[in-house]
Amino acid sequence: MLLPDAAQTIVAPASPAGRGAVALVRLSGPDSIRIASSFLSPSSVSGAPKPRFPYLLRAEDDGRLIDRTVTVFYRAPASYTGEDMVEISCHGSPYIVSTLLRLAIAGGARQAGPGEFTLRAFLHGKLDLAQAEGINDLIISEGEAAHRAAITQVEGGISERIRKMRGTLVDLLSELEVRLDDSYGEMRPLDAPSFLGRARAAAAGMKAMADSFEKGRRAKHGVRITIAGAPNSGKSSLLNRLLGSRRAIVSPIAGTTRDTIEAKTELGGFSVIFTDTAGIGTAPKGTLEREGMRRSLKAIGSSDIVLWVIDGSRKGSAADRRVESVLKRRIPPGAEMIKICNKSDLPPGRDREETAACQSISCRTGSGLKALKVRLLAEEKGFFTAEASSIVTSARHYSALLEAHRELSGLERLAAAGGVLPMELAAEHLKGALAALAAILGETTSQDILNNVFRNFCVGK
Amino acid sequence: MAYFIYPSAFDVIVVGGGHAGCEAALASAGMGMRTLLMTQDLDTIAQMSCNPSIGGLGKGQIVRELDALGGRMGRVADLSMLSAHMLNTSRGPAVRAPRAQCDKKLYQAAMKLALERAENLAVIQDEAESLWTEGSALKGVTTVRRTRYEARTVVLTTGTFLKGLIHIGQVSLRGGRYNHPPSDGLSPSLEALGFRLGRLKTGTPMRLNGRTIDLSKCSEQPPDDPPPLFSRFSVRPERKLLSCWITRTGPGSSAVINENLHRSPLYSGRIKSSGPRYCPSIEDKIVKFPHNPDHIIFLEPEGFDTEEYYVNGLSTSLPEEVQLELLRSVRGLEKARMIRAAYAIEYDFCPPDQLRLSLETRNVPGLFMAGQINGTTGYEEAAAQGLIAGINAARLVKGEEPLVLGRDEAYIGVMIDDLVSKGVDEPYRMFTARAEYRLLLRQDNADLRLMDRGLDLGLVPAVFRRNFERYKAAVERARKGGKPASEEADMAPWTSEEAETCARIGKEYSTYIDRAVRDASGMKDFERIRIPETMDPSGIKGLSAESSQRFRRVRPVTLAQAARIPGVTPADIQLLLVHLARLGGKD
Repeated sequence: MLLPDAAQTIVAPASPAGRGAVALVRLSGPDSIRIASSFLSPSSVSGAPKPRFPYLLRAEDDGRLIDRTVTVFYRAPASYTGEDMVEISCHGSPYIVSTLLRLAIAGGARQAGPGEFTLRAFLHGKLDLAQAEGINDLIISEGEAAHRAAITQVEGGISERIRKMRGTLVDLLSELEVRLDDSYGEMRPLDAPSFLGRARAAAAGMKAMADSFEKGRRAKHGVRITIAGAPNSGKSSLLNRLLGSRRAIVSPIAGTTRDTIEAKTELGGFSVIFTDTAGIGTAPKGTLEREGMRRSLKAIGSSDIVLWVIDGSRKGSAADRRVESVLKRRIPPGAEMIKICNKSDLPPGRDREETAACQSISCRTGSGLKALKVRLLAEEKGFFTAEASSIVTSARHYSALLEAHRELSGLERLAAAGGVLPMELAAEHLKGALAALAAILGETTSQDILNNVFRNFCVGK
Repeated sequence: MAYFIYPSAFDVIVVGGGHAGCEAALASAGMGMRTLLMTQDLDTIAQMSCNPSIGGLGKGQIVRELDALGGRMGRVADLSMLSAHMLNTSRGPAVRAPRAQCDKKLYQAAMKLALERAENLAVIQDEAESLWTEGSALKGVTTVRRTRYEARTVVLTTGTFLKGLIHIGQVSLRGGRYNHPPSDGLSPSLEALGFRLGRLKTGTPMRLNGRTIDLSKCSEQPPDDPPPLFSRFSVRPERKLLSCWITRTGPGSSAVINENLHRSPLYSGRIKSSGPRYCPSIEDKIVKFPHNPDHIIFLEPEGFDTEEYYVNGLSTSLPEEVQLELLRSVRGLEKARMIRAAYAIEYDFCPPDQLRLSLETRNVPGLFMAGQINGTTGYEEAAAQGLIAGINAARLVKGEEPLVLGRDEAYIGVMIDDLVSKGVDEPYRMFTARAEYRLLLRQDNADLRLMDRGLDLGLVPAVFRRNFERYKAAVERARKGGKPASEEADMAPWTSEEAETCARIGKEYSTYIDRAVRDASGMKDFERIRIPETMDPSGIKGLSAESSQRFRRVRPVTLAQAARIPGVTPADIQLLLVHLARLGGKD
């Protein structure tokens, strides 16, 4: 197994995802200040800061302003962990937080494991065990859940891919080790071109995977909320109300919205993508309507939250029942559905039982909208808390993959230097890469190497 | 029948006169302890029962470490050397290591003389039959002559003798070595004290009369000139060294093996215990690597004054007639006369997860174990454990803390931590691959790493301290690019060239070494968190039953050691950390 490496600089958001207007990103370790100054400008300040003093610094990604931050620098041992530390307060947007994380990782930090800041504080004697206990208890419960989530569902496939990469690296390392331990010159010389070819392929695989995380994370920003319902129930009016602009054309004519309309907005600090859909539940007339309906179903199938809008001023219709059955079939597992009873400004046309569980609103007067937003926000917070584990593990994977890739680049440079490949150094790089991957999988490697050496080769007196 | 109580009592009794026993006895006596070395046969002291070879990759570094700590193996090997090579010279200096062929008889004689001349040390020919205990308290050793020797501590180094059983084909002979009786009493004595025992297997190839080998069909492997030495305190041997010879199995060899496989006790199921995978018998090699057209064989002289040759690579337990047929199939050995048959041997061992890192058993305070009884193979591995057990037995008597070397300090530390934390399921042999800080643990810096300890223990004579300090200063100066200062001119047995070489190697690896040092110091934090011996693993909230069992079996003493136990996960370590917090004990 691998214990967290206390010599490395670690980074993690110290505040929960999406909660509150302000978020805190924390770095700890010997390179904290250097890493932070790589993306906090002006670097004249962040490069040689006065400790325990708040600075207003610009966080920049390749020159592009991400956020204005209030940043405090700490010098060891006068900090929470007892190491050099940087605490960056930024706006509480998941996008800003994750960008800061990415910048720190790209600068050489590693995503902190659960409880690692406290662990360091403990190791440096900043906390006694009794204090650490309380904090650790809390973190471990989250950490375990996060760990399970990562392994079982969200990233089962990723673990599989990483395990494969690890297998390749173990094979490569075994080829070196068996030669390094070959006292009797029994082994054939290393086939260096083939060895390097496989190392390069593994490195490319890691790079591709690290890149996919970055894309995936960016795409992920935004909760998908789809507005669905029977024609003319007021879906587009609701979209406009939620956006506070006339994004969609509204008219009394049923079926005004033919295509799905997407609009990105911010709701209480969260980024949200609203999708207005064409009415469903009636038989489509013509290709255009059929296509519109197909797109509506697709949008429903990929939502995190579905707002089912009914017209509260009319009696329940066959179309409503069809909508309900379509939604029940199409809504993805885990997604929430909120039933919304629109047109509360008009006399009610339905039974109380039918509308009791509904969120009652009027798009015309705006009544009930605030309550709806509050409810959405609650849903989103829940969503983000549940998803937090996968965000963390993704960042962890990203950081580990970058690290492993860096090691393989080091191996590549050794080879590029020409001459005979120095196997004992190549082995160091492979061990470094394996340690990075092991941090994701939580599996040991040294025994594997020996087993492999014995399984595949024939050494001996 | 009454016991004869031996008239003088001892601080340390070492049972066994092999490579572990000799180092243990010399170390304990060297530290001023009244020491007894008891051996079944004075004429087989320090016998190299298999290959008369010392060193090799991983092992050569261990011998250098032994030397730095004041062990004897390196000096005796240098003295009896008949051929020697520095291995891995085409690779970096971090993975180089010396290996020597030794004159088997000369080696034994030199070691026996060292024992006989040592202060505080009695060497007596007698055979231990059981441990003398009262309740769970160790009193000493009872021998087959019904003599009782009283001692405060005992070091068991029983080699392959515990219920040793030799196999040649379908024939089984009782013996701890060919023609030497096994030791049958100690195993039940250990079991009665609550030890778990297991069974392992090893083997040795046949020996030939060198005059019947056609050396013209073999390729010569001349010794290095000058040959590498193991010890800082040796001088170059003046006699002319000998060559070894290389040949290969022939096309007929596989056929001989395959046709007779059913007659091998390994393949017919007669031998069930595990043998070393990395020192396979020839039948193993041919079965497991059918695509290899041939296998390499080294022909190594066993001494200056003998024609006996060791056939490195043909270890087997096949019947004698098949061994003869096999020899006929090897180029250069067609007409060779086999003077000793190859055989396999099974023996009891005491799984080392029952030990502390000091090599003292957890069951019986004062009882130490070293060498093959701990599941290792190899003279060097045995000698290193012997040295540590001897030192720690002495320190226990003196009431001092045991010497425990770190994984970043010595291969010896790696080995003992592996044995105790991970246990063994086959004979354990050192490989450089086992050391995570390989670049730090070089043969060229063994004295820099360990000689201060050897001096402090009193096992390296104090007269060397001044020059060792000068050597360290010279290395430090060379590392910073300076020339050796004049007061460092006399630093014998060290030289300023050696200081420069050592500094240069350190520099060449500096980026990697810096990282290794960082990693090692990262681990140190976890090495510092101690686990109280009284901790009950079943009290750890949330810990799986399997991991709880693992902690109970190994009884780790630090968080870092706990983390190295196979199957223990980072989550287990977190839980353990919290549990320690609840106990409220911090080192």
